[in-house]
Amino acid sequence: MNNIEETLWNYIDGNCTADEQKTISNLIAQDEAYRLRYQELLNLNKEFAAMETDEPSMAFTYNVMEVIRAENAQVPLKAAINKRIILGIAIFFAITLLAMLVVVLASVKWTGQSVHVNLPVNIKLPDINGSKAKTIVESFVFFDVILALYLFDAYLRKKNMAKQV
Amino acid sequence: MQSKLSDIELIEQTLAGSQAAYADLIKRHQRFVFTLAMRFVKVREDAEEVAQDCFIKAYRSLGSFQGQSKFSTWLYSIVYTTAMTFLRKKRVDTDSIDDEDTFIQVEERSSAYDVNDAENKSRSYYLNQAIGQLLPDDAAIITLFYKGEQSLEEIAQALGMEANTVKVKLFRARQRLKEKLEKNLKHEAKELI
Repeated sequence: MNNIEETLWNYIDGNCTADEQKTISNLIAQDEAYRLRYQELLNLNKEFAAMETDEPSMAFTYNVMEVIRAENAQVPLKAAINKRIILGIAIFFAITLLAMLVVVLASVKWTGQSVHVNLPVNIKLPDINGSKAKTIVESFVFFDVILALYLFDAYLRKKNMAKQV
Repeated sequence: MQSKLSDIELIEQTLAGSQAAYADLIKRHQRFVFTLAMRFVKVREDAEEVAQDCFIKAYRSLGSFQGQSKFSTWLYSIVYTTAMTFLRKKRVDTDSIDDEDTFIQVEERSSAYDVNDAENKSRSYYLNQAIGQLLPDDAAIITLFYKGEQSLEEIAQALGMEANTVKVKLFRARQRLKEKLEKNLKHEAKELI
């Protein structure tokens, strides 16, 4: 029975080849059971096609456009920050840090047990072995680690949200 | 009055900064998007929320619309994912989403409020009631096929399925819909007697 229905639905939907269509047309014309089933499905098809769609509320378009307008109003603030300028500053700092690193590494004298840094200019490096300085450095590193974890968490959340959207 | 411009023309105008063009696009598709959302979430208020969310998401990612498919197909795929996310957020677990009885209960409960309206007791009322009793996927496929002017391939694209799967699902959905329609009409006939 299902096979007959499946064949007839394919025929009604126009998903048959020309040969299949011819065969089914003949079956409908000659076989009473086929003809009755075809007529039943055809009526159902008409009924399904006449189903009504639902109407949203009157303020639907207005509500959507209000959200969009509110979002667009916030855009200029974001757009005001030119990405090229930020990129330029980032590149400047990266190059500066790299240059400093190269100079420092070039000035290092590696001996058997200790390392001496002879900087090109007479800069007095702060003593980080003192107890006060050590606490400050440790606090600074601790703060950096917490900040890095916080930013990483925010990044992952944002990524997850974007995935869900 | 709705615009006579094509969807693509309205999209181009929207991307050029015209919000009025996007409002026209919403007016053109809101009825169907809302109907489709209703097929998934079943409750009018929720469907309105989902439908609004869809248009907002579509606006945000309008720039990524390639135009390789119809705008409606692209929009319906957003409706599908948004409705699924909404249902998940509402903590309706997968079992109950796939449980046909859940929707029969929901429909029976909600229909009790409208059933007094004699005007509603038309053939189309019973058809809508029967569609409401189908599984969300079945109801969406039937709606997309008959009212969304979507081919099997386009429905497959919107729902992220194979075209053959959609064909089989459409056949089964029509069978279930026919059964439910007959059952509802028989039940009504008994009540009248």
